[in-house]
Amino acid sequence: MTKVLTVDDSATMRDLLFLALRDAGFDVVQAVDGVDALDVVQGEHPDVIVTDINMPRLDGFGLIEKVRADPELRAIPILVLTTESDPARRDQARRAGATGWIVKPFDPAKLVSAIRRVVA
Amino acid sequence: MNEGERPPSADALASVRGIFFQECEEQLAALEASLAALQEGDADSETLNAAFRAVHSIKGGASALELERLSAFAHQFETALAAGRAGMLELDGSVLRVLMRSADKLSDLVRAAREGEDLDEQVISSAEADLTALAGPQDDSDDDSMFSGFVPRAAEFAQFDEGAAETRDWVVRFRPYADLYAKANEPLLILRDLAELGTLEVTLNDGALPALDALDCEEGYLSWNIRLRGACSQQAIREVFEFVEGDCDLEIALEEALPVNNEAANTETDTPRTNGDASPPPSAPERKAALATPTSPVAQTIRVDLERLDDLANLVGELVINHALLSQRIASHGPSSASVALALEDLDHLTRDLQDSVMAVRAQPLKFLFQRMARVVRDVESATGKQARLIIDGEDTEVDRTLIEGLADPLTHMIRNAIDHGLETFAERLALGKPPHGSVKISARHRAGRVIIQVADDGAGVNRARVRQTAIARGFIAADDQLSDEEIDHLIFLPSFSTAQAVSGVSGRGVGMDVVKCGVQALGGRITVQSVAGLGTTFTLSLPLTLAVLDGMVVSSQQQTFVAPLTTVLETIPLKSGDIQRVGANLDVLTLRGAHVPAIDLLDALALRTEPARAPSRFALVVEDDSGRRAALLVDDIQGQRQVVIKSLEANYRNVVGVAAATILGEGRVALILDVNSILGFGRRDERKSPRLLAVG
Repeated sequence: MTKVLTVDDSATMRDLLFLALRDAGFDVVQAVDGVDALDVVQGEHPDVIVTDINMPRLDGFGLIEKVRADPELRAIPILVLTTESDPARRDQARRAGATGWIVKPFDPAKLVSAIRRVVA
Repeated sequence: MNEGERPPSADALASVRGIFFQECEEQLAALEASLAALQEGDADSETLNAAFRAVHSIKGGASALELERLSAFAHQFETALAAGRAGMLELDGSVLRVLMRSADKLSDLVRAAREGEDLDEQVISSAEADLTALAGPQDDSDDDSMFSGFVPRAAEFAQFDEGAAETRDWVVRFRPYADLYAKANEPLLILRDLAELGTLEVTLNDGALPALDALDCEEGYLSWNIRLRGACSQQAIREVFEFVEGDCDLEIALEEALPVNNEAANTETDTPRTNGDASPPPSAPERKAALATPTSPVAQTIRVDLERLDDLANLVGELVINHALLSQRIASHGPSSASVALALEDLDHLTRDLQDSVMAVRAQPLKFLFQRMARVVRDVESATGKQARLIIDGEDTEVDRTLIEGLADPLTHMIRNAIDHGLETFAERLALGKPPHGSVKISARHRAGRVIIQVADDGAGVNRARVRQTAIARGFIAADDQLSDEEIDHLIFLPSFSTAQAVSGVSGRGVGMDVVKCGVQALGGRITVQSVAGLGTTFTLSLPLTLAVLDGMVVSSQQQTFVAPLTTVLETIPLKSGDIQRVGANLDVLTLRGAHVPAIDLLDALALRTEPARAPSRFALVVEDDSGRRAALLVDDIQGQRQVVIKSLEANYRNVVGVAAATILGEGRVALILDVNSILGFGRRDERKSPRLLAVG
């Protein structure tokens, strides 16, 4: 089963992501912010990371940078959750090394197809 | 919506709503606290950030749950806070008052959404207008994300469709830059998605690929020419490349129809020659060849259900047994012809090859497991204050997938023990002239059809004095028992054996090495230990490469059948009266070429005797365990050598001491596979006690 790490400081979003992904047959692990996510990545070796941008302690950009800088982790695809009216943020995420994006509020089908686009 | 249309996750959604409103309470409280702090003169940017995040969170959840009024208001609020965050808005008294009033309105909206009420639209709109005024002139252009208007999603790709109902030929040229790979995008997956739009014909251009010694593995050298025949629009194709546009050269164009005539040397395309494409366009006959065999060197893989692999492995195992039975039956009918013998031998080779292939499918390198141990080392370092280096060797060694899962716990325990008990402290090591960082080395290799994994530390070695004392105190040995160094070392595998002085957070609860040993045995393996005082300790695990099948010696006593692993069997001896003698109070021995070997009645050892023996045992099976101890197992009958498929007892029943696993013999009988190490261990421990060793139940 493909393992997805979802990173978001909002419990609501984490739950919504979990439901959408679980229904689609993914294995889901969660983190509450970038620092937590780095910890979880080491233990869980997810196949893909789906992360929000605005988070305390270490935000989405910071997380992407750290993952891409780590030789053991840098091949993990990372999808950022961006708001639609934010193309500049999306570009910023891509420059930081994001593999792709999912627009918020997310359509579960689009979430799943975005993940399938970046994970075998 | 009637009952039948109720979406499956409606209840789940209701619970998420509950979580959302709970979270809103927290976020509103955080918002209030931040705004209050700002009003007190707190100038920390983090305070404003916290306010922004609180509103942002509420907005995110609200729009996901389709609470539109709340979401729209929260968006305006967020925009105003973003302006403040970006320094575009000075947070003076009047501005803060607007923000605080907005926070109140937000709270009202949350409550209204929760209760399903409506609020006075005028009041909300007016508050919204105040916020909009704060944020400054809103620009719908894309140059600053913070100020873009909240436009409801409209995009309908149908508008851009160019008669998608028609099947057409597209030509796509795709050349990824290094950045594409660096962002973990994968051309293979992109091509796979493209294949869903129609029929693909993919040609690889590897002309830019340099020689191996000049190859930069981070660079992008490959490009692809793709012909796609499908009823899709250009927009649909472009969408497949959505994530990577900007990190590649991409051209999508229609191709004019191929001339029917095969002699046409060139085919016109709409696209001009691009710089990435060194080769001329393939001529029609070439292209037809490309149609038959795509030249892309991409490796093919498929996903397989793990259960199917397990079924396959099982079936192959049964095939092996069947073959063995067949051989036996043919042999029992008298000497067979040479051709039959030859055919049987061929079958044997084929079956074993098949078995190896199936096991190879399930094989995985130990790499990730070993690398996970780095984390264990760090954890134990902080728990114990000792410092250790982890050395990994042979991580590419491949083992069956189920072995890897079963090894995680034993390995973790061993590493914990090595650091916690084995390694001396920093200060001690310095005083001893050892390098201050201790090392723990885990290594793996294949040898003689088995996987040998070692966990070695360069610490103080097994504290034999303390181990001996503990064993005496626990009643495992007597005070005057003579034991070799190696035998003392192996005492640590006894149940609940722990000599830890202080119960550290890591180990020392006395569930160390015997749990490890059980774990290893459950995988069909053996574990031994070697230790040199002052230099260190090495644990060696020996695991079978093929889990499923075992060469064994089948024996029986009183209608119960057992299998002893052939690797433990030294010889079989028919017994005559007087061969077994009683020595001491409760010990029987067999005299074997002048030496005495303890004689253990198998049924008694396993507490499986249901009725008293009517006659003395007729055979002795001389076996040897991992530490070289020998014993004679007394049985009624020896039925011969047989290959058996190992069936896990834990999976089907539970762990039973003295028994490693079980198997089903060809005739349908269940036979227990003996765990020689524990049987001999029991025999030894109870030399002073009664022959009845343990109750299995």
